[in-house]
Amino acid sequence: MDPLTGLKALSGNRFTCEEPDYMQLIEPKLIRRMSRIIRMGVATAMDALEQAGVKDPSAIITGTAYGCLEDTGIFLQRMVENKEEMLTPTAFIQSTHNTVGAQVALLLKCHSYNNTYVQRGHSFETALLDTMLLLGENPAASVLVGSADETTNQSFVLLERFGLFRHQASGEGACYFVAGVSPAAGSLAKMAGLKTIFQPGDHAVEKAVHSLLSQNGMKPADIHILLTGRTNEPSTATYYGMVEKTIFPLTPAGQFKSLCGEYPTASAFAFWLAAKILKQQSVPSIICPSFTGQLKNILIYNIDTAGYHSLMLLTAC
Amino acid sequence: MNREQLIEDLKGQIIEQLNLQQVTPADIKADDPLFNEGLGLDSIDALELIVLLQQKYSVKLANAEDGPKVFQSVGSIADFIIATKAEKS
Repeated sequence: MDPLTGLKALSGNRFTCEEPDYMQLIEPKLIRRMSRIIRMGVATAMDALEQAGVKDPSAIITGTAYGCLEDTGIFLQRMVENKEEMLTPTAFIQSTHNTVGAQVALLLKCHSYNNTYVQRGHSFETALLDTMLLLGENPAASVLVGSADETTNQSFVLLERFGLFRHQASGEGACYFVAGVSPAAGSLAKMAGLKTIFQPGDHAVEKAVHSLLSQNGMKPADIHILLTGRTNEPSTATYYGMVEKTIFPLTPAGQFKSLCGEYPTASAFAFWLAAKILKQQSVPSIICPSFTGQLKNILIYNIDTAGYHSLMLLTAC
Repeated sequence: MNREQLIEDLKGQIIEQLNLQQVTPADIKADDPLFNEGLGLDSIDALELIVLLQQKYSVKLANAEDGPKVFQSVGSIADFIIATKAEKS
């Protein structure tokens, strides 16, 4: 089924991923030591490589805020229960943040550059930034870049107590892309620009948007869809309102967090969504009902709950 | 628990602890090798098995040199547990 056609708004306050039958994608002998988030990351990485026709990427770059939470929870729980004795190695080994990227490299026997960025709400964006820098240095490279974050029963309870899901459901997700300088036949979109801002003051977001647009020779009218992470969270409403109403009053705006929930690398879902929209030249009605007109440039504006703002500009290939 | 019962119990514990996919107790013969061939376990699994023996059967592997012999098969693990418990009592 076409993923854009299958998009639907979810209900409840905890969204979980729809997962494939991993047995069809990963060898059973290898899968037994992979927790859910590792399976999700590995499956999406393998799918992205297959779609791009790349077998040996020049680099593997991952962004994750929470890392492998399930294994971290298991390890810590056993540490407490067993009074710091008789701890099994698997949960400890798999609990580190770079496990997803490392497992992908092990499966591919890829000894190239491998890095994982743990930058809270800018984790995916930082992975993208590193990708852009790498491609700037080596235009022949093909970089596997993505993100993975999971919600566990424990983390959901804890974060809910902090009030994180009061205005938007909790979410999770994994995705990988293959990035290169030269567009190929199957390329989804072009990553035109990226800006990150942490807890911006007055006018900082407005300046960043205009700066990103002018760097690409664009004006607000050149943006055909504004894809935002807007939720019912009151503390972010002013920022989203300013961007939607002051900078892009005539641009159709759609929200993506009703589809994927709130999580630190939710912007990666928006990145995938924008890329697919540009490739298919079709906007799901759940994003922008009855969209018509030119479809070349999409701007993603996301705010993570802790004040991490990001802007990502994608254009059609 | 006699040797046969212990072997059956061990098979279930090993499958659960090592998260062996698509493996049932019936697939494991008492004398099948656990490492390399057979179930294809590795050094991380050996550590998991050591912890399993301590936690579930209160048996400690005192000498690491004994590992290859003890962990040769489910049957050899059962023999080791029985012998160690007999020594203790």
